[in-house]
Formats: sequence, C-alpha cells, structure tokens
Amino acid sequence: MNEYQLRPANENDIEFITEVIIAAEKGNTNLLGFSTLFNLSETEVRKAIESMLGEEIDFCEFSISSFYIVTYNNIPVAAFGGWIEAMPGEMPSKILKSNLLGYTLSKESIAFLKTKSDIIKDTLIEREEGCLQLEYLYVNYNHRGKGLPTLLINALIERAKTTNPLLKKVQVQTFRNNENAIKVYLKNGFKITQTALSHHPEIFNYLPHNEKILLEKNLIN
Amino acid sequence: MERTEIAEKIKGILIKILKHENFEIKDELSATDVEGWDSLTHMLIITDIEELFGVKFKLKELNKLNNLGNLIDLIISKLA
Repeated sequence: MNEYQLRPANENDIEFITEVIIAAEKGNTNLLGFSTLFNLSETEVRKAIESMLGEEIDFCEFSISSFYIVTYNNIPVAAFGGWIEAMPGEMPSKILKSNLLGYTLSKESIAFLKTKSDIIKDTLIEREEGCLQLEYLYVNYNHRGKGLPTLLINALIERAKTTNPLLKKVQVQTFRNNENAIKVYLKNGFKITQTALSHHPEIFNYLPHNEKILLEKNLIN
Repeated sequence: MERTEIAEKIKGILIKILKHENFEIKDELSATDVEGWDSLTHMLIITDIEELFGVKFKLKELNKLNNLGNLIDLIISKLA
C-alpha cells in the first residue's frame, strides 16, 4: 500500500470528483440520471457538476470538502464523499443539493424534471439527521481489489468522529443492481435497513434501477 | 405586496407541488415540518416561487432560508 496515499479533496480535484460523481451515479449501467431527468447531455451534466462543486457549499453530496481521495503515485484513483447530515445550524443536505441544482441548471431543465418527478419520487430515501452520510464511491478499474473503499470509509468515519465524538451511525444509499458496492458495504459492517421501490413503468428509462436501498452501520454498540 | 398575500401565493404553490394541505402557513414553517418536501419538490417549489413573483434568488440567499418567514422577508426585499 506504499504507493497509495489518502488525502481530503480540494478545489484542484474538481475535474476528478466530477468524474467520480458521474461514474457512481451510473453504477454499473450507462444510464445517467442527471442526463435523463434534466434532459442534458453528459457534457452538460459534467459542466453543471463542476460548477456546483466550485460553489464550495459544505455538507452535501456536491461539496468538494465532503470527499476523500486515494492517489496512486500522486494520481487520483479512488474517492468517496461523506458529511454529517444537518449539523446544528446547517441546512439538511437535500435542501443544499436542491438549491445548488436549481441555481445551476436552466429553467428548461427544471421544467423537464417537473414532468418526470412522479416517475422517480418513490425511490427517494430520507437521510437521518446527525448521521454520517456516505455518497459517490468510485475506484478506478485498475485499482479494484486493493481494499481502497475500506480505507476511504474508515477515513470518513474517523474525520466525522473528530467533529462529533458521539457519532452513532453511518448511512449509505445505492441502487439494488450495484452489487459490487453492496458487497463492499456489507463487508465493512453495513446492514440493509430500508428499501424504496418504484413500480412506475418508465423508471428504467430514467434511473439505473427501480429499487434504492439504504445500508447502515452502527458505531456504538 | 402584503406578507399575507405573499404567504397565500406560496401556500398555493406548496399545495400544487406537494399535493396536500397538511401544513399550517406560519413564519416558523420549515421544509422538515412538511410531508413530501424533499430534494425534488424543493427545487420545483423554489423555481415556481421565482417565476410567480418574478424574482431570482442568489445561492447564498437560498442557503440562509430557515423557514417561511425568512422566505417572505426575502421576497419582500426583492420586490421593493
């Protein structure tokens, strides 16, 4: 593991973290929800994500400060984001994320989403206040099987514990078909605690899968 | 425009997007108090409010909005 180094992401990593978000959103499919739901090309999505990360809003999935990166010979090869949900005095991440999307995307894109909201609404799972939320795990294909997700998960938990030593729980959401990610989470002590299923006939045209699952890991026995 | 008039217009938007009326319009009302006010509906609510009142919020302003009272104050300041 000598070649691998762990560090927090910074503004110079925006391009890499954008790729991380896009790859993680797709899971193991070619379907990018941000493209299908906002009627945007992948290039337009990339530009929007870079712009949102550049706003430097903390405590949500589009916060550059949420991410830890693993580098191999100084080149980023893996990343994972994490933040404590709705810290005292902070907005819930769902509001911060929505504000970023609404502020960044065009009226036409939001109007397009409006016509699709009924299709995806049943796949939304609420994030629990005070819990560490993990989002957007990515490991470059050539660096898989090296335990990098465990390294990232542990680093994110340790950082969160320095902010809140009484942190009780970690939560992560993923689509049911993302079997590799689910295996990683189960191996790291997470358990499936909730599922959100959409029966809408068009769901597979817009999201990688029709079922979202919530996994949790308790930090206090 | 009076506060009560703004509040009533916002109420109309909330009912239209959330598809229920199980909330009380008061200054302390926040997204966490209202069923169905999630990441998806929040975006639609804010966009509709901007359109209805002919205003555009800054990101910094949006991220400071803790409740309905703050939102009404912000709209009044934009319309002034």
